[in-house]
Amino acid sequence: MSSMIEFKNVCKSFGDIEVLHNIDLSIAEKEVVVVVGPSGSGKSTLLRCINGLEVVTSGDLVVNGIHLPGQKHLIRDIRKEVGMVFQLFYLFPHMTALENVAFGPKKVRGVSSAEAVEIAEHLLNQVGLADRANHLPSELSGGQQQRVAIARAMANKPKIMLFDEPTSALDPELREEVLNVMTKVAQEGITMVVVTHEMSFASKAGSRLLFMDEGKIAEDGDPHTLLKSPPSARLKNFLRHVGY
Amino acid sequence: MSFEFHYIVEAFPSLIEGAKLTWYITIFGIIGGLTLGIVAGILRLAGTEAVGGESHGISRVFWMIGQKCSITYIELIRGTPIIVQAMFIYFALPMLIEVSIGVRGVRFDGLTAAIITIIINAGAYIAEIVRGSVLSVNKGLIEAGMSMGITRFQLITSIIGPIAFKRSIPPLGNQFIISLKDTSLFIVIGVGELTRQGQEIMASNFRALEVWSAVAVCYLVMTGSLALFMKYLERRVE
Repeated sequence: MSSMIEFKNVCKSFGDIEVLHNIDLSIAEKEVVVVVGPSGSGKSTLLRCINGLEVVTSGDLVVNGIHLPGQKHLIRDIRKEVGMVFQLFYLFPHMTALENVAFGPKKVRGVSSAEAVEIAEHLLNQVGLADRANHLPSELSGGQQQRVAIARAMANKPKIMLFDEPTSALDPELREEVLNVMTKVAQEGITMVVVTHEMSFASKAGSRLLFMDEGKIAEDGDPHTLLKSPPSARLKNFLRHVGY
Repeated sequence: MSFEFHYIVEAFPSLIEGAKLTWYITIFGIIGGLTLGIVAGILRLAGTEAVGGESHGISRVFWMIGQKCSITYIELIRGTPIIVQAMFIYFALPMLIEVSIGVRGVRFDGLTAAIITIIINAGAYIAEIVRGSVLSVNKGLIEAGMSMGITRFQLITSIIGPIAFKRSIPPLGNQFIISLKDTSLFIVIGVGELTRQGQEIMASNFRALEVWSAVAVCYLVMTGSLALFMKYLERRVE
């Protein structure tokens, strides 16, 4: 299998604080990688490096065959292939659900308006929100907003999907609907990197689990094995804290 | 001495003429000021996170020069009284042109100088309104847009622009009203706007109470209409 995302000795600092410490990581096509770890361990930063929202300080990072460091002008080529879902949804507040989803195909893929609407309707249907197409984000629940956000990220037909704590801002009963949509995305064979505290998602849909601690990848392996018998005291401790 | 209403009736035609001129200066001043303000406001933000981060290469130099020009312009205008700006454009600029490039006789008539003054003055304040509105757009929305692979231009026109525009309506309304009232200062460069008309009528009949009351009411009607228009715009954007 070819490597979709490759970190080679990547470091990332904010001022004097090193957030990522010599990360080596290779993610193959169609892998569903779930990243867990205590807050401040660098999981979000790791994720945001992949689409260039954070610039790596040193090392090499290759995404979909493109080397990121020092190639600012290629960043859009990568972003077109990488969809991202944020903790706080960040739907465009002045556009309806449909317009949010149609935005990418129209502006980035350059498809016609009619075609973009068709793509958007299809995706909204897939996330179970066909009847909310003409609502503004402010008229939707958190769970619905996040499902629209997933549809929006999928609309560009990305090869990679990044999820940054997609359920952390949601009530428990709304999490389920978002996790179900994410499981569906995973089944479609898109490469996924998911930062989350939902261990149930890791064991159900994840093909690989990373445990990050203090800017390093402390554990890397099969979710079932790692969750059933955590090999380190740190992971054991962490799992107890998140109530798994 | 009593309040004699017929003085107002007599003054009315002249006051209407003055009010028309006040509108004329205000409308052109606001349109020009808005254009200048948007350009200066965006230039001032160039290369910051608020508009999608730093540029690179030659465009970086261009934006940096733009940003410095914008800051100089805004501070120069905010730091001096509008009446001084009007005097400068009307009286001093022709001399400056003559001294610096040796061309004599370049001068604006009062009305042109008045419009230019409002454009330049309002532009500086509107630039700050634009900057404030753009900065108020959630960083997460900008990242959401950028992560889709859109260009900086698309980011500004499709996401930051519409959101910032909505937020800028209340402070813009404020600035438009201020600019309208500022036109009364052009009495000093001989423009026959509303205040000047009032003064001339007053000088001939000495009915200060009636004339200045009428002038005040005229201004209230005009500022009130502007305020109503901005309210309407705000509701339309909702």
